[in-house]
Amino acid sequence: MTPNRRLAWLYVLGGGFGLAAAVALTLEKIAKLRDPAYVPTCSLNPVVSCGSVMDSPQAEAFGFPNPLLGIALFTVVVTTGGAVLAGFAPPRWYRLAMNAGAALGVVFVHWLIVASLYDIHALCPYCLVVWIVTIPVFWYTTLDTWPVLAPLRRVHSVILVLWYLVIVALILVEFWDYWRTLF
Amino acid sequence: MARTPHKKTARRRWSANVVLTLGLVVLAVVVIGGILVFDRSDDGPAASGETLVPAVAHRLSTAEGDRVTLVEFLDFQCPACASYYANVTRKLEQDYQGRITFVPRNFPLDMHPLAMPAARAAEAAGKQGKYAAMYHALYDGFSEWAVAGQDVNSDVTAAIAKFEQYATTIGLDLARFRADMTSAEVQAVIDEGVRDGRELQVTSTPTFFLNGEKFEPTGQSFGDVDRELRAKIDEALAG
Repeated sequence: MTPNRRLAWLYVLGGGFGLAAAVALTLEKIAKLRDPAYVPTCSLNPVVSCGSVMDSPQAEAFGFPNPLLGIALFTVVVTTGGAVLAGFAPPRWYRLAMNAGAALGVVFVHWLIVASLYDIHALCPYCLVVWIVTIPVFWYTTLDTWPVLAPLRRVHSVILVLWYLVIVALILVEFWDYWRTLF
Repeated sequence: MARTPHKKTARRRWSANVVLTLGLVVLAVVVIGGILVFDRSDDGPAASGETLVPAVAHRLSTAEGDRVTLVEFLDFQCPACASYYANVTRKLEQDYQGRITFVPRNFPLDMHPLAMPAARAAEAAGKQGKYAAMYHALYDGFSEWAVAGQDVNSDVTAAIAKFEQYATTIGLDLARFRADMTSAEVQAVIDEGVRDGRELQVTSTPTFFLNGEKFEPTGQSFGDVDRELRAKIDEALAG
C-alpha cells in the first residue's frame, strides 16, 4: 500500500469515527433541547460529563452547535478517502485545500481542548474521539502535502504520540485529584 | 504525495520510528502509572465505622442505636449532588427522620472552586450547632451561588457574601462564623472527610454508603434511584 492509500484509509477511518461522534453529539443535543432535564448518555461522573461540555458557550462557537460542523466536514474527509481509494488522484490544489481545512480543524480542536480543561472542567467522550482523529488527519495530511517535511516522515508516529502525550499529561494534571481517587 | 514504493523505505522507517514510538508509549505508561501508585495514600481500605462516621461528622437525622446508617460523600458545588439533593435526599431526610442515621461527609473536588469554601461554611455553621440549616441553605440556594450561567461559578467573594447572608438568615453569630470559616480546625474536619473518602475508594460525588456498604444504583432516572435507595433502607430497617 502506498502512503497515498494509507492516508486515504486514515481519512475513511478517522473521518468515519469523527463523523459518528459528531452525529452522536448532535442527537444528544436534540434530546437535550427536547427535554432540558435530559442527562446525556455520556455524562458518567464529575469529570466525564458531556452535559457540562454541551451546555457551555464554547459548544456553539459559531452560533450553532459545533457537531453540525463536524457532520459536514468529516463527511468531506470520508468522501475524499473513499474517492482516493477508488482511484482519484487529488491535484495539488485539492491537497492544499484539504491541508488548509485540516489545519483550521486542528486549531479549532485545540481551542476546544483548552476550553474543556480550563473553563468547563469536564471531558466529553464524543469530543475526545474528535480530538483523537483530527490530530492525525491534520498531521498526515501535512506530511503528505509538503515534500520539504520528508525528514519528519521517518519519525511520523513518534511526533504523533508525543502530541497525544502532551494532551494526556494536561488532562492528567488538570484532573489529578479526581484520577487518584480511582486507584 | 510520497509515491516512493512502500517496501524500500519501510524497513528503515519501521525500526527507528516504531521502536521510538513504542518506547515513548511504554515510558509514558510507566511514569504515569508510577506516579499514580506512589501518590495514593498507603492505607488500605477499611470500611470501619470510624472511617465512615467519625465523631466530628454531623448528622441530619439520628436513629436510636444507629441501626441503619446512610453516609453521603458530597461536594456542595457538584451539580450531580445538587440534583440528588433536590430529587432524592431532601425528601428522604424528611421521610426517614429519626428512623435512620444520615451523615453527610465532605468530599470537595478541586474542579469545583467553591466546593471548599462551601464546605467551610457548612462546618463553620456546625460549630454553632446549625450544620443542617446551612447544608439545606447551600443546596436550596445552589443556583444562587454555585453556577454562573451554564458554567461552574468561581467567584469566591460573591459566594462567601451569599454564605454570610445564609448565616444571618439562619441566625448565626456572623463574626464567629467568619472566624470559624477560616479556622484550621474546620479545615481539618474537611480534610478528614477527603481522606476517609479516598480510603473508602470514593471515586465521585455523591457516593452513598448504607450500613458500610457502597450503594450503587442501577436506575436510569432519579425516580428509579430514589426507589432503589428506599427499598434498601426499608430492607435494612426490617432486618
